Amino acid sequence: MRVLSNNEAVTSERRQRAFVLLAIAGLVLLWPLRSEAYAGPGAGFAVLSSFWTLFVAFLYSAYAFITWPARHLLRFARRRHAYRNAAIQRAVILGFDGMDPELADRFIGEGKLPNLAKLRQQGTFRKLRTTYPAISPVAWSTFMTGVNPGKHNIYDFLGCDRNNYLPFLSSAEIRGPKRTLKLGKYTIPLGKPCIKGMRRGIPFWHWLGKAGIFCSVIRVPVTFPPEKFPGVLLSGMCVPDLKGSQGTFCLCTTVKTDDKFREGGVRVPIERNGSALHSYIPGPEDPLAADSGRELRAAFEIRPNGNSARITADGESFTLKVGDYSEWVPVKFKAGLGFSARGICRFYLKQLSPEVEVYVTPVNIDPARPDLPISHPVTYSIYLSKLFGPYATLGLAEDTWALNEEVLDDNAFLAQCYGNHDDRERMLFDALEKTRQGLCACVFDTTDRVQHMFWRYLDEDHPAARNVARDQRPNVIEDLYRRMDDLIGRVMKQIDNRTLLMVISDHGFKSFARCVNLNAWLHQNGYLALKSGKTESGDWFDDVDWSRTRAYTMGLNGLYLNMKGRERQGIVAPGTEAESLKQELRNKLDGLVDPASGRIGITGVFDCDTTYAGPYVENAPDLIVGYGEGFRASWDSVMGKVTSQIFEDNLKAWSGDHCVDPRLVPGVLFSNFKIADEKPAIVDVAPTILKLFGLPLPGHLDGKAWAVATEPVG
Amino acid sequence: MAIPTGINSASCVVLPGVHGFNLPFLIVLLISVVIGFLMVIVFRYTSDQKAIHKVKDQLKAHLLAVRLFQDQLPVVLKSYGRILRCTGRYLLLAFRPLLFVIIPMIVLIVQLDRYLGFAAVNSGQAFLVKAQASGVDALNDISLLLPPGMRTTAPAVHAPASHEVIWRVVADDGGAYDINVDIAGQKLAKTVVVSSGLARISPVRLREHFWQRMLESGESALPSNSPIESVEVSYPLRDISFLGYEWNWIWLFFVLSLAAGFAFKTVLGIEI
Repeated sequence: MRVLSNNEAVTSERRQRAFVLLAIAGLVLLWPLRSEAYAGPGAGFAVLSSFWTLFVAFLYSAYAFITWPARHLLRFARRRHAYRNAAIQRAVILGFDGMDPELADRFIGEGKLPNLAKLRQQGTFRKLRTTYPAISPVAWSTFMTGVNPGKHNIYDFLGCDRNNYLPFLSSAEIRGPKRTLKLGKYTIPLGKPCIKGMRRGIPFWHWLGKAGIFCSVIRVPVTFPPEKFPGVLLSGMCVPDLKGSQGTFCLCTTVKTDDKFREGGVRVPIERNGSALHSYIPGPEDPLAADSGRELRAAFEIRPNGNSARITADGESFTLKVGDYSEWVPVKFKAGLGFSARGICRFYLKQLSPEVEVYVTPVNIDPARPDLPISHPVTYSIYLSKLFGPYATLGLAEDTWALNEEVLDDNAFLAQCYGNHDDRERMLFDALEKTRQGLCACVFDTTDRVQHMFWRYLDEDHPAARNVARDQRPNVIEDLYRRMDDLIGRVMKQIDNRTLLMVISDHGFKSFARCVNLNAWLHQNGYLALKSGKTESGDWFDDVDWSRTRAYTMGLNGLYLNMKGRERQGIVAPGTEAESLKQELRNKLDGLVDPASGRIGITGVFDCDTTYAGPYVENAPDLIVGYGEGFRASWDSVMGKVTSQIFEDNLKAWSGDHCVDPRLVPGVLFSNFKIADEKPAIVDVAPTILKLFGLPLPGHLDGKAWAVATEPVG
Repeated sequence: MAIPTGINSASCVVLPGVHGFNLPFLIVLLISVVIGFLMVIVFRYTSDQKAIHKVKDQLKAHLLAVRLFQDQLPVVLKSYGRILRCTGRYLLLAFRPLLFVIIPMIVLIVQLDRYLGFAAVNSGQAFLVKAQASGVDALNDISLLLPPGMRTTAPAVHAPASHEVIWRVVADDGGAYDINVDIAGQKLAKTVVVSSGLARISPVRLREHFWQRMLESGESALPSNSPIESVEVSYPLRDISFLGYEWNWIWLFFVLSLAAGFAFKTVLGIEI
């Protein structure tokens, strides 16, 4: 007789037990009597939930089926032109923010981008003229509205408040609720925050939607706050974090220091308490203590254990190894009286020894429970979150500041970028599946962020990479272009021959090796004055003597005159004086040479009065400064700071840029259809799409529809 | 209260009715809350919480898709198919915890059903006693022996088609009685509870039928060589008043334990 081994005996026992359990369950389920028909709340929950789900689904579907003919008729009556004159059934626009035509051409030539090569060979590849200035919010606003910035009102990320010379976010204005109730020490908000979009003009998908053409629009910049239209839209660049900023990371550390990050992040102390460490994530201002400036905080605990740590935040615990990111973690900022703000963030365990350091991403608006609307309809962000899990909602989701400040290293930053990119890809392919007819537009930011941060390894002699041997430099940007090419290949497999595929970028890229402090130049050349005894200013023109200042610069490319009647302490008279000052500045700045390298730092200065046309030109700067290749506005100059040096090396990881002379950084245009125009511009995309769908072009558009041969190739 | 002769006191617990209180309801409420709590705890530790969370999210997503893309019939149809698939998966995931709780729950429910499923007969109230034989030949040999305090109010009715003999009986006083069905000298006892309170009740005594005995009878089996298959007492079904309706206890338990479970799962953050 064979003796069973221990394992066999245990397995056999398990099998027997499983059999008995199954037999009992089977008996009970097959011959249910009154009393055992209900086996407790567990079964009840399952049955009820399933029934409820199916019931709701049935109701939804029944509604869709029953009303479909009526809706179809209504659509037919209202928009009987939908698709009737359309040359295409579907347009797929892939926006690769910052994809550079020269780099694309080079990699195609080296055989590294087979899908883009196919598009170029069989369809179209052109340089796509960008906007003045070549900045993403400006260019994408022009892309969607088909008009110049004078008509859509976006000139930079930041605008200048002429009353106080301080910056404001140019795309959206968020204020507290209109009405509040004062209750003792509390100020209770009555209603939701007021969000006002500052971008003007009508995105072309609104025209398409009105005509009955369905549109899925994903993460196109400057679509926050989302506007109503017949389609779905997820907002992109310019969506704030929960603090209301464009992204504030947090470094929790046991290192005692008073150093502050230049921008984009805060240091938070970690306190030891026995074997546990405690810290917190700074949140939004307490809405119940309006004007006090008191921030809400979400505490978390860290329990180190060898090379990993157990982190507990808002009741959720997870273990992280050093060098690992967490999943998206929900965090709740409690304000009292039942008020709270909810967001999501990711933790990155930077080190545990000798000091403990945890990086926390900016707290993103939770797409499953958005405190601010980030999609149209609101349920679209919820739908995506339920389908794919939580995802980054912040406009500038890739934390370039954290890499700039050396809080994250290259690999941690890339992991964050490609994590977000993968989410975006999933959204795109879902939109492709859901939009068999109509428009599907999706913008990927990874191309922009990675090129900004890793151009140093591409440049021959970038100051920020001089300590890295040439053969040690990673091929990050080449890898990025390969990934994008692979994505295009997968999209090409999803489309038929009545689908237009367009791959575009808003601008190209150049090296950013040298910084130009234009405020310093204005100061040294007598256009900007400091208060007596001062040789430098603080941020945002602290110590600037406005009574003697004729010009100043803020933001990336805008130069402003201190105009009488417009600026609060303006001294330049509008008209002849202003015009001659502009001309004088243009003459002096155009061709400005960097004495250290002998290269031209500024290759063009453009008068906004002649560059723009439209009702919002008065909000534009007076001049747009076009920096030469390798140059850009200095970090200090952007923040309204006057330094003693005009030119200096850029030592930051942020080493590539596009805020230069727009003629130097056109974007790309690839298409599976032949496009005849030799010099297409981003402003032409909207009219071209409208024309291809057979819609009349609104008269105010500045762009011209391209001649597109609507027979696809390949 | 004097205990009449023939009363079986061992197997019978009688809870007197409390004036002004709906005792059966209070018992159901208490048990529902406790069971609701225990069940969500069991569900938490025996289910794949992550998978349940995910599949529920998927369900919600596909529901939203039906709404978001309602003008596109192919999308609606596809989403509906996915909803069905996710529902199946969800039921599958909920089945595992069900395996853990099903046996204790059945035992508990069977025991509760003894107290809450039927009401005892009241003194002076007529009720039926039914003896079922295995063949029609035995019917003429069956008689009913009643303890003092109980009497028949009509002659026995023979139903040859169903092999049954039926008596109508009345008890004069409350208590738990043993009545005997006599067949050819073999006496088969059956407990009868006469009370206005809450009592443990076994409506039937059975021969063989193991599962039915486990689930329905609270008494030992009849001898296997007996020609009698069952002796049954026609207790009235108990209804419990709640929110202006008369409820069978199991439905009330279903509703209340679900409500308690939902409340606890929210408080405890458990995915169900």
